[in-house]
Amino acid sequence: MDHSLSAASIRPPRAGGAVRALLLTFALSVLGRPLFAGEVVERKVLAAPEPQGYWTGPINSTVPVTIAGGKIIHDAHDLQALLKGGGVVVLDVSNAPRRPENLASGAPWLPLPHQAIPGSLWLPGVGLGEVPPSVDAFFRERLAAATGGQLARKVVIYCHETCWLSWNAAKRAIHYGYRNVYWFRDGIEGWKAAGLPTSLIKPEAEPAGESGRQP
Amino acid sequence: MGSVRYLLLAALVVSMAQFCVGPAYADDDEAARADRWKDLQQAIFPGRPLKDGGGLIRLDAPPRALDAALVPITIDMTGGKRVKGVYVVIDGNPSPLAAHFTFGPKADPSSLKMRVRVDQYTNMHAIAETQDGQLFVATKFVKAAGGCSAPAGADDDAALEDIGRMKLHLIGDFAAGKSEQAVLMVRHPNFNGMQMNQITRYYTPPRFIRTIDATYEGGSIFHLDSDISLSTDPVITFGFVPQAKGQMKIIVRDSKDATFDHSFAVPGV
Repeated sequence: MDHSLSAASIRPPRAGGAVRALLLTFALSVLGRPLFAGEVVERKVLAAPEPQGYWTGPINSTVPVTIAGGKIIHDAHDLQALLKGGGVVVLDVSNAPRRPENLASGAPWLPLPHQAIPGSLWLPGVGLGEVPPSVDAFFRERLAAATGGQLARKVVIYCHETCWLSWNAAKRAIHYGYRNVYWFRDGIEGWKAAGLPTSLIKPEAEPAGESGRQP
Repeated sequence: MGSVRYLLLAALVVSMAQFCVGPAYADDDEAARADRWKDLQQAIFPGRPLKDGGGLIRLDAPPRALDAALVPITIDMTGGKRVKGVYVVIDGNPSPLAAHFTFGPKADPSSLKMRVRVDQYTNMHAIAETQDGQLFVATKFVKAAGGCSAPAGADDDAALEDIGRMKLHLIGDFAAGKSEQAVLMVRHPNFNGMQMNQITRYYTPPRFIRTIDATYEGGSIFHLDSDISLSTDPVITFGFVPQAKGQMKIIVRDSKDATFDHSFAVPGV
């Protein structure tokens, strides 16, 4: 599957880039003030074009910097500020590990505890490229319950960095009619890189039977 | 003059460290990794102390892997025949015990290479077990993510078509009684059940290698218990000690109870 990549210039996340952090620290510790006061640092970010429908290619590949009908959060601190305002529904749509059958009896199956943005609801499976009616209904129902049925409620959706599941799920929520959908592009890695706290959560049970698919 | 510069540099590094390492998340992650390793030790080596492997075992892997589904690792062991086996643990993987090699009388356990899947930023551990039952551990931190859900290839059917095909490649010149390195390549998708098939659009059912036995003239080189953390089309480099020309036999068993075996002629002088 070939997709042309374009380089879009966007404002980098505040905590992104170790080199920048080092430079800033250098400036603060040596000079007592930022070296490049007032300068906005630009960084080239790889971005895929927005697909027409849902993304059905590899889940872990370059993602867009846009989502039609929704907003993008590029900076974990902006997300933190948004959450402080209250009333925001936060959805983690990353995959949950699946235990394969016939694993050796002595082999430990010990998926790591799942770190999430505090207050997140974990809905695995709702961000796949194609979902069966059962998963679609599950997502609609969980969203309705979490938002109290208010389509104007702010809904933040994330998974990992370079992960299409959250883009697809956000697009799906927009399609359901939610008017304030925020896609947090940097995912849990971006949140943690900004030094923000996480909490451990368990997934909401996926509906039994057919799972979604990624053609 | 030079020492002053170093002092300044050291002061700068210290002041930077205060700021850069400052955020709690780094410490939290370290603590979480340490806790994880404690849990895994309990699960895999209950009640057995692990000693620092310095001098006996060394683990090497790229700090940032190009492909999380194909992370090359190298284990060097200097214990010779004292080493009975080696465990490979990938802490962050849902099935963390990736491999357990038990060496036989024909083995040269000084060096071992393979390719593994890594699901998230993780510590890896290689643990050598000596004949007297002591455990020695080496650690390496690897930045790679997504190796468990990365598709094995474009076409599952093609991957299954020549499943079990093997190649063996010998490195270096043969000399009786001297250690020889061999590279074993096995065609096997090692499906872990977490990959999405690109054509049928569903999760590919798991099918992975459970054991590999390598023997030389009837004597064991190694027995491997492996798991879903082994990469697609496993490649394993190992040492053995041929006495004369003879046959190396490889037997692979997978989770569908299929057995594949192949004999290779090891040339004499």
